[in-house]
Amino acid sequence: MSEQEKKDSLVLKGCAHLFGNEVNTDIHCSNKYMLDKDIAYVAGQAFKQLDPSFQERFQSGDVIVAGKNFGNSSSREYAAQVMRYMGVSAVLASSFNRGFFRNSINNGLPVIECDTKDIETGDHLEIVLDTGLVNVTDKGLTLQSTPLPREVMAILEAGGLLQYLRQNPNW
Amino acid sequence: MGFTIAEKILGLHSTGEPVTAGQVVVAGIDFLMIHDGRALGALAAYKQLERQDLPFASKTALVMDHYTPPPTAHTADIHIAMRSFSKTHGTVLYDENSGISHQLLPENGHVTCGDIVMATDSHASSFGAFNSFGCGIEGTDAVAAMISGKCWFKVPETVKVILNGSLPPGVWAKDITLHLLSIFGVEGCNYKAIEYQGEAVATMGMDDRVTLCNHSAELGAKAALLEADDTTKSWLQAHGACEPHPVSADPDAIYSRKIKIDTPALEPLVARAHQIDQIVKAGEAGGESIQLALIGSCTNGRLSDIRQTAAILEGKKVAPGVRLMVTPASREVYLAAVREGLVETIMEAGGSFASAGCGPCIGISQRYIPGSNERVISSANRNNKGRLGNPEAEIWIGSAATVAASAVTGHITDPREIAGGTWREV
Ligand code: SF4
Repeated sequence: MSEQEKKDSLVLKGCAHLFGNEVNTDIHCSNKYMLDKDIAYVAGQAFKQLDPSFQERFQSGDVIVAGKNFGNSSSREYAAQVMRYMGVSAVLASSFNRGFFRNSINNGLPVIECDTKDIETGDHLEIVLDTGLVNVTDKGLTLQSTPLPREVMAILEAGGLLQYLRQNPNW
Repeated sequence: MGFTIAEKILGLHSTGEPVTAGQVVVAGIDFLMIHDGRALGALAAYKQLERQDLPFASKTALVMDHYTPPPTAHTADIHIAMRSFSKTHGTVLYDENSGISHQLLPENGHVTCGDIVMATDSHASSFGAFNSFGCGIEGTDAVAAMISGKCWFKVPETVKVILNGSLPPGVWAKDITLHLLSIFGVEGCNYKAIEYQGEAVATMGMDDRVTLCNHSAELGAKAALLEADDTTKSWLQAHGACEPHPVSADPDAIYSRKIKIDTPALEPLVARAHQIDQIVKAGEAGGESIQLALIGSCTNGRLSDIRQTAAILEGKKVAPGVRLMVTPASREVYLAAVREGLVETIMEAGGSFASAGCGPCIGISQRYIPGSNERVISSANRNNKGRLGNPEAEIWIGSAATVAASAVTGHITDPREIAGGTWREV
């Protein structure tokens, strides 16, 4: 990857889709209650119960935005895999459940802790991963998120923990 | 500047120096466990790899505890896949009916003081009873650990709980956790490590210490940690563990919160149905009738729990209409209970035994589904609606003493009101 390409991959652009506090991804984005379904089916049902119009609006590259404790009591890493399959470019929330946060990093899904109260569904977002800056472009707003530690960024850049290990066998 | 046990253990396994809360470190781990409830995730992650060899497999145990005996063909097939994976890669294997992972690992010498032990289960906090940092992970982490022997961690802040004085008769480590749940609420210590110290810990046997660390998972704790003493070391030695490297906290370590508990003032407690932090005194539960009494789980299915159950049931009968089921935490625990005559005492009183495993702690084992509108009193750890496979049943949680006393009377009972209810081994 050239330096320029690397820089571009650290900037994510997408449209915001807003959810509230305490989203349980075991319920809204996993196969916990549909063990026999494949990932395409689960992805097609994701977040429908929280917002019936979500599936129509959502486009690959968009950003999920939520309030506190996103991924609450969720333990399944399948949720992060489903979101990547859907093309979610990042999840922005005021806080995350520990397990969900960890699973997302391990599966290459950027999770960004940030005060999300000024973001609405439909806002265009530009997220600079290494500095943690979040621009709400049409509102002229710039938010500072908690920047991800270097070690975590390295896993995300590789696309997940197993991909990272392939590139860095001496982790 | 001083450091907590978690900061020291994670530091010694990564940079070689203590680290501070909030830092991200990549640490070498000492042992890994994957159980059948999560094996499919790990096997799927493994299939994505191009490589075949897993250098850390010899320090990895695969455990069949949730689906034991298998309730469905699908779960029996998971076990077949686990056996085959274990054989190919040379992992340690605990087959059906061996027991619950959190009991098997220390019992078989896989855990010692100063270790980091990772498991695909949040109750891995149990290993803190042996002064080891035990923490829950998912399949991707588990496969990465089998390749590299490492794991990444955000070093947790620590809450210090000082247990002044010792436990009064009839009151157990379970009651301490239920009391803490009434203070912090469920997941009130999310992301954090908990260190327990004080006279109550020093006077507890290993079984009760494991309960204390294990049940911290309901407080949301990432890990729970005790310092090691002679009780810890002789237990580990008797179970063939590697040489212990005890780690203690510095007196000036930094804690996110410190709380003191007046342990002698504690009473037997229960968590009311559906919410593990809705705590009432067992004696003030309103005499609610019960139909199913369950002793078992990684929280309270060990030998001291079965001894205490037998002490209460000795010469008595389980109340009419009540079923009492004991599920030992491991085959070793079961065998000890047989040899001590505890099984005979409990069965003469009208109780029953199931083979070792998670059993009726969770509905997916399909081990004992309660009827609609029935009330269960259980020594397990979680009571969310439908946990046992029937959302129309109530699950209340208490110590093994409280469960056994309630089985005798037929309603939720303070064990101190029943002969044998203040038993404790000396
Ligand atoms: S006994 Fe219960 S809590 Fe413990 S590992 Fe098994 S299912 Fe989980």
